[in-house]
Amino acid sequence: MELLSNLGDGFSYVFGVVPILTIVLGVAMGIIAGATPGLSPSMGVALLVPFTYAMSPTLALILLVAIYIAANYGGSITAVTINAPGTPSSVVTAFDGYPLTKKGKPGMALGVSLVASTVGGIIGTLILIFFSGPLAKVALKFHPAEYFALAIFGLTTVASLGGKNWIKAFIAAMFGLLINTIGIDPISGVSRFTFGLSFLYDGFALIPALIGLFALSEIFKQLEDGKFDSKAAKSTNQEWPTFGEYWKLKLTILRSSIMGTIIGIFPGAGATIAAFISYDVSKRFSKKPEEFGKGSLEGVAAAEGANSSSVGGALIPLLTLGIPGSASTAVLIGALMIHDLTPGPQLFISNPEIIYGLLASLLLANVVLLGLGFFGSKLWIKVTTIPKRILFPVIFAVSIIGSFAVRNSFFDVIACLAFGVFGWILRRYNYPVAPIVLGMVLGNIAETNFIRAVMMGGWTIFFTRPASLIMLLVAVGSFAVPLIQARKST
Amino acid sequence: MPKIVKTSLLLLLFLVSNVQAEFPTKPIKIVVYTGPGGLIDITARKFASIADKYVDATFVVENKPGAGGIVALKKVLQSPEDGYNLYACTKSNIAKFIQVGGRDYVNALHWTAMLMADPECVISNKQNEMFEWSDIVQNALKNPRSQNWVGPAAGGLDHVTAMKIWDEYGMEAKWIPYKSGGKAMAALLGEQGIAYVGNPRDALGNPNLYIAAVSSKQRLKVFPNTPTFSELGVPNLDNEYMWRGFALKAGTPQDIIDWYENLFIKVTADPEWQEFWSRGGIDVEFIGGEEFANIVRQDVETFEYYLTKSEIITTNNSNGLAILASGYPFLLFTIGLIAILLIVGLLIYRSNISHVLGRVMVIGFFLIISTILYLQTLTFPVNSEVGPAIVPRLWILMIVPLSLLLLFRTFKRKEKVEANGPRMDIVLMFIGFLVVYLLIMNYIGYFISTFLFIVVGMIYLGYKNHKVTLIVATSWILFSYVIFYKILFVSLPIGKLIEGLF
Repeated sequence: MELLSNLGDGFSYVFGVVPILTIVLGVAMGIIAGATPGLSPSMGVALLVPFTYAMSPTLALILLVAIYIAANYGGSITAVTINAPGTPSSVVTAFDGYPLTKKGKPGMALGVSLVASTVGGIIGTLILIFFSGPLAKVALKFHPAEYFALAIFGLTTVASLGGKNWIKAFIAAMFGLLINTIGIDPISGVSRFTFGLSFLYDGFALIPALIGLFALSEIFKQLEDGKFDSKAAKSTNQEWPTFGEYWKLKLTILRSSIMGTIIGIFPGAGATIAAFISYDVSKRFSKKPEEFGKGSLEGVAAAEGANSSSVGGALIPLLTLGIPGSASTAVLIGALMIHDLTPGPQLFISNPEIIYGLLASLLLANVVLLGLGFFGSKLWIKVTTIPKRILFPVIFAVSIIGSFAVRNSFFDVIACLAFGVFGWILRRYNYPVAPIVLGMVLGNIAETNFIRAVMMGGWTIFFTRPASLIMLLVAVGSFAVPLIQARKST
Repeated sequence: MPKIVKTSLLLLLFLVSNVQAEFPTKPIKIVVYTGPGGLIDITARKFASIADKYVDATFVVENKPGAGGIVALKKVLQSPEDGYNLYACTKSNIAKFIQVGGRDYVNALHWTAMLMADPECVISNKQNEMFEWSDIVQNALKNPRSQNWVGPAAGGLDHVTAMKIWDEYGMEAKWIPYKSGGKAMAALLGEQGIAYVGNPRDALGNPNLYIAAVSSKQRLKVFPNTPTFSELGVPNLDNEYMWRGFALKAGTPQDIIDWYENLFIKVTADPEWQEFWSRGGIDVEFIGGEEFANIVRQDVETFEYYLTKSEIITTNNSNGLAILASGYPFLLFTIGLIAILLIVGLLIYRSNISHVLGRVMVIGFFLIISTILYLQTLTFPVNSEVGPAIVPRLWILMIVPLSLLLLFRTFKRKEKVEANGPRMDIVLMFIGFLVVYLLIMNYIGYFISTFLFIVVGMIYLGYKNHKVTLIVATSWILFSYVIFYKILFVSLPIGKLIEGLF
């Protein structure tokens, strides 16, 4: 097969001292970037782009892709240890990862998140290698009406996130969607709810909101409890998952990886939606859905499998069509352009060594991630043994520098603090905060595609296109079922 | 004139001329309004590496993305007009400036140099039933407003170019904006749009893409088979292009501008520079001074005309309730709403249902925000059947009934609320620390204020070992200095007082 022999060439290129060192370096930097709140995978990649200008194009891409993969995983480390998701997609990892830490089992959560990430990453890459052609065609046919339906489907996960508090969860999600409309409207170009303040033109950045709603509100809540003598974990000698425990998760990881890759394909949908939807679906398939949100290993695996495999998915439109599927891949396009390479199908013909070198390095980077991540986890776990009296002030400091670093903006720091206080108040009255994040992530996709669809085909288009109709019906179903179940159980 | 004034004036003149003669004495920042990797970022970096050959200066590229260039503009305007902040600009900036701040924003910069221009073109998809320019025009004339044209944001250069093309041909089509050119290209490839307006480079790399017509005087060297608009019978469209160049803060001394112009001439003549851009089919040519000022002036007028025509810039329509959305009425109305909430809060607090106080206040907060934002939507222009007000109103109209339902349930049913911890005082104290910390950061800078915050925080929480406290705070400062300040170039505030010292 031509594909396999090309891939062989790719591997023969990657198995050199310099490429392997580059991958190791990239993975290490990526883990750190992902684990630092305020540095997202796309920023990790973007920050390194200038350094790659002097490298060969293949080596530059290998480095950037290694960072991209590792940063996507790195976000889960802080999500698990201090409830501060380093990346938007690791919000979902925090749902179960942080409760596990509170129970004194951070090792279980870190172990599962690492293995689910690597396996997810490899599955995503394999799908990318073998099915990119047909999948890219599907992605192209995806009409704005379908994007809207996908976003609505993502929003319905709120119903199961909220459980008995579904009204509150729903209000929180709508509030997130409303926050998302602040700033210049991407469709009409009109500035909305900015009150003439220039720092509001771009709206609220997601990362500061994330840090505030999750990390800060959690500390405020623990400060209110007033118990500072307990530690999350007693020692660094941690309980790690056994092979049997990993093996039990095989179906969850496989399912979420496939879903993650597929959702990752659609430009703009990305890792966060993939993680939310996969979490929701896994909860429905699970034999123990009641454990979700309280420290379920399946929940961690579902979230991490989906968000890591979405990397492979996001690369499909990039490589086959030259279209970025995510913020990070948009930066990769820039990196290709500076080397005078035009991303797109022509690249397979004109520079196959780059494409296959990239694919081979994706697989290798995931293996390296498993190794580095394993040793790294043993270090990270020490964070959970730090006394709270030291940890809390430092987490505040981390949050503040992290939210500042996103755009070098002081406004974001104030926003982070405000979201922290807001999140703390909401949590005091049993409002879940995750739906706000979901609303902020999905708002833009839902709104712009809703308007595009209506502009293109009128108000009825959502029901006349079969794919969109089916997705909307599934969304209504997946929204109604947990509500009915919640009603029955009360 | 007293002697002392004369001497000091002379001294000042001497100092000023001396400083200028030595320009540059410190690194020059090239402020880029996008993240790394975009075309303007590449322009800035390539320029920096070539300019290095000709002048003894250090160029540092600083990415300040946000709001289509407004964030980067603010950064330049906050610095003195000493020539050390070079704004890497494009024609898109003019569109955004006009849209957001009007001519004041444009005039805040001295538009120093245009270094290159890419012609605009219309790209179609060979898979579509029509892709030749004449077919597209015929079809559009026959069925007005039936074609979907795709491209980046409304009100940007590509949108305005499309409107100009439609005007010249007397045709009508719909502009479907996407978040980026790439996403719009996906829609074209997915056969959801008939045409895409943008850079000819965008058509490279995919054999299905077809450049239907290009807006330039002659055919492009890289695309010799693509007809120009004048060949297709519309000579008025031979000069629509995207330019890239540099601007300085208005008021920068003339000799610094001269220094730059000199440099731009040298870089433009550089073979490596020319060779780099010609590979992408871009001709480089330096245009500065009055000629560039004229181009900018013309661009301003074009954008003003089309942005007004497409109702992206509008005069506020304050009829009916919309009066409450701005100015004093807005302020009074908002204060009134908050006052009502506080009075209700006070009544509940005094009554026998005081346990619901917190919950009612939270719901009240959601209702107030919803009301205020709903009033704002009344001022949004109604420029299409799905205007900018539709979706925010949809979200608000879902929040309000749900909040009312929740309010009803709060009073009606006994809801089990988890008991909260006893130490609200610690939380409020910490919020106080954080507010003070952020306030003093402006004066004494990030490093000292953070050090103090960590020390005070740990002591307040009752951590006894002061040696460890100092070690933790110091290590955090060192860590953030090395990683964030030095390696990642995060411009952490140094503080007004500290800067004053040096």
